[in-house]
Amino acid sequence: MNPELALLNNYLIVGAMLFGIGVLGFLSRRNMIVMFLSVEIMLQGVSLSLVAWSRFHNDFGGQVLVLLIIAVAACEAAIALALVVALFHRRGNLDIVAWQALRESNLEAYHDRPLPAEPVIAGPLPHLPPAGTAPEIPREQTEHRSKL
Amino acid sequence: MPKSAIILTLATVLAAIGMWLMLPRGTRRGRMLGGLLAAAALGLGLSQLPRLGSWSDEGLFLVLAAVAVASAAAAVTFRNPVYCAIWFGQSLLGVAGLMLTIGAQFLAVATVVVYAGAILVTFLFVLMLAQPEGRAAYDRVSFEGPLAAAVGMVIVGVLSVAIGGVLSQAGVAGQVAPPGQESVGSGVLAPQHVARLGEELFGRHLVAVEVAGTLLLAALVGAAVIVRVAGIRPSSSASATPGARTP
Repeated sequence: MNPELALLNNYLIVGAMLFGIGVLGFLSRRNMIVMFLSVEIMLQGVSLSLVAWSRFHNDFGGQVLVLLIIAVAACEAAIALALVVALFHRRGNLDIVAWQALRESNLEAYHDRPLPAEPVIAGPLPHLPPAGTAPEIPREQTEHRSKL
Repeated sequence: MPKSAIILTLATVLAAIGMWLMLPRGTRRGRMLGGLLAAAALGLGLSQLPRLGSWSDEGLFLVLAAVAVASAAAAVTFRNPVYCAIWFGQSLLGVAGLMLTIGAQFLAVATVVVYAGAILVTFLFVLMLAQPEGRAAYDRVSFEGPLAAAVGMVIVGVLSVAIGGVLSQAGVAGQVAPPGQESVGSGVLAPQHVARLGEELFGRHLVAVEVAGTLLLAALVGAAVIVRVAGIRPSSSASATPGARTP
């Protein structure tokens, strides 16, 4: 295999690896933000493949396409994160299972299985000794609230 | 069955098992083993790639590819989403390095600036806003771990076999005449790379650039509208703050 062809081959395979890892993350993770990160990893894989093709054909078309991908990814990040914030305000967490009422009507509901407890840090935690006295703050200052 | 096919199959199986062990499963047991298996699979896969021209090219490619792929795997499997975002940033740096080495200097810099500089910071902001205190239960388990790992890694294996097969056939048949060497002066590897990219961008693809700009504007306005309209409505559990906007 001549060097240029080998270069194309290697870069396409690295792009495929990134794409596959992104698919894995999107399918398996439950945190909405991590799912979205996985989509960005898939986009990176595709961008890498396009750059490799651009080098192989000695043509700037692939690189222009990658620039457009970056622009669209920025739009996507803005919209998706706005949606995530809105969904978080509705349910109070980032769990995608909280929205499983939107599933197909013939699918069973997903039930959480109980998890073993997280290990807690043993022993007394260090604490700072008090230094000085608490300042006196006037009452109207602590209760002040700017107009919303 | 040729030897390389056996090695690729082995790498795919190892990678699937390793990624499954690394995914959050509610227990910490086996994560290190999973990492070792996935690293071994990555090494096997990279060892099967055809050699590049020189030793320095080869070494640079292997290091950058390992950084990009391993960081992406870590970004997908870590349980704390903040760490996921940081690992994603490192994966971006690896990808930017890979782009830099094959003649896409401007894109490498743009990737670092736009992704690592803007998108990643937005991710971290949203995580700070939305992440509950402590480690959430939904970060400690994943859907269908073995199945998802198998699907992802089988996609990688099949794509690798397909790419290698098609390209080597085309190379043997002489269907592709790689134009990289003879016309270095005028193409992607030209000394005035960025100037030529700009010429191409604002010449042939001017309409696409304008449309992308309009899309960005529309997306920003849309994001502001979404947060204002949908986000402020207080949920049933959250206490309504005085003065909050009610629909």
